[in-house]
Amino acid sequence: MKLNISLSPEVLFNIGWFPVTNSFIWTLVLSLFLIVTTIVIGKKLKMIPGGTQNFVELIIEESYSFVKSIIGTDEKAKKVFPLVFTMFLLILLANLATFIPGQAAISIAKENGPVPLFRAVMADYGLVFVLTIITVVLTQIIAIIVSGPFGYIGRFINLSGIKAFFKEAIHGKFKFGVLAQGFLDLFLGIMDIVGEIAKIISLSFRLFGNIFAGEVLGGVMLFLAPFFTPLPFMFLGIITAIVQAFVFAVLTLIFITMAIETGEKQEGAA
Amino acid sequence: MGLFRALGLDVKILIAQFINFAILLFVLYKFGYKPVFALLEDRKKKIEKGVHDAEKSGEKLKEIEEKEKKVLAAAKKEAFVIIEKAKEQAEKRQGEIIKKAKEEVGEIINQEKAKIQQEKAKTLKELKREVVGLVAVSLEKILGEKMDGKKDEELIKKMISKK
Repeated sequence: MKLNISLSPEVLFNIGWFPVTNSFIWTLVLSLFLIVTTIVIGKKLKMIPGGTQNFVELIIEESYSFVKSIIGTDEKAKKVFPLVFTMFLLILLANLATFIPGQAAISIAKENGPVPLFRAVMADYGLVFVLTIITVVLTQIIAIIVSGPFGYIGRFINLSGIKAFFKEAIHGKFKFGVLAQGFLDLFLGIMDIVGEIAKIISLSFRLFGNIFAGEVLGGVMLFLAPFFTPLPFMFLGIITAIVQAFVFAVLTLIFITMAIETGEKQEGAA
Repeated sequence: MGLFRALGLDVKILIAQFINFAILLFVLYKFGYKPVFALLEDRKKKIEKGVHDAEKSGEKLKEIEEKEKKVLAAAKKEAFVIIEKAKEQAEKRQGEIIKKAKEEVGEIINQEKAKIQQEKAKTLKELKREVVGLVAVSLEKILGEKMDGKKDEELIKKMISKK
């Protein structure tokens, strides 16, 4: 027996030039499941709710009020909620789907050995990366919209302190404290660029790392001691699945909120 | 790029994933969040309206109850007054009727009395006349003498009045 751990998703087959990986198929299946469920529930909405509708309403309403409590106003919350909640649903569903019994055992024979048909979606860096890019790009776009293109650039390349020093210097007053402050602002601004890039890595690898590690750990445990020993790790995996979905969605929400608030603060100061 | 290859990142798949997520987001928004939010909002409004209406109707009910009480009290008072008046009137009328009846009865009695008196007088008169005739006849028989009518009558009258 050989333990096969692969960092990348396995390509099952090619459709023309498009390589279809196992995690991509999973993504499609889960998305289809979400879409069908949504349409079925959405079509059956009634003024007086039944059991399922009550549950759905409860979850959506509570999540919405949570989003609102973080972002502030109803208007902003209405715009952000669909994205954040969809991310949460997809990630949660993808993470929990790995606990469907038996799916890990199915594999397809290929020329260089068997390839598992299913793979935890979030243990494929692809979708995580896409979601993270959506978050980060959206954050930047919001920041540009809120504080204007020059305000946005000015946040990263902050020359206002140095400018203030030279203004004083023309009049013969050399305030080196202002100059030092200006350089510090410039340095902090440049650090912010690093921070934005780090966001991509921290956000994506937190989710990917946790789920991938959970998968690997589960696999190793199953390999070493197939009975009972993997159970605690599976429970841990379920907790991770829920927490990571929550963390990813909430961090997206917080990044967007921060982008709005920083822009508004800048506007207030200017 | 080595890291990218190790992680199995493929631009084609990334784009496909992105499109997939966009479709998912769109469908969930269109058929999930939007109708649910609309429904929630609708229901919230309905409930608000219901509560508002209930409050209003409660107030109105109170008002109506108070009005009812007032009206009832006024009606009671009025009824009492009317009854009192009616009683008074009835008593008055009763007195009048009794009085009138008494008067009438008195009159009738008086009339009857007068009639009786008249009758009595008439009877007496007739009786007297008859007695006079009778006495005259009997006297004539007794005396055997036919007195002249005038003298006779005078005599009898004297005798009667002496009695």
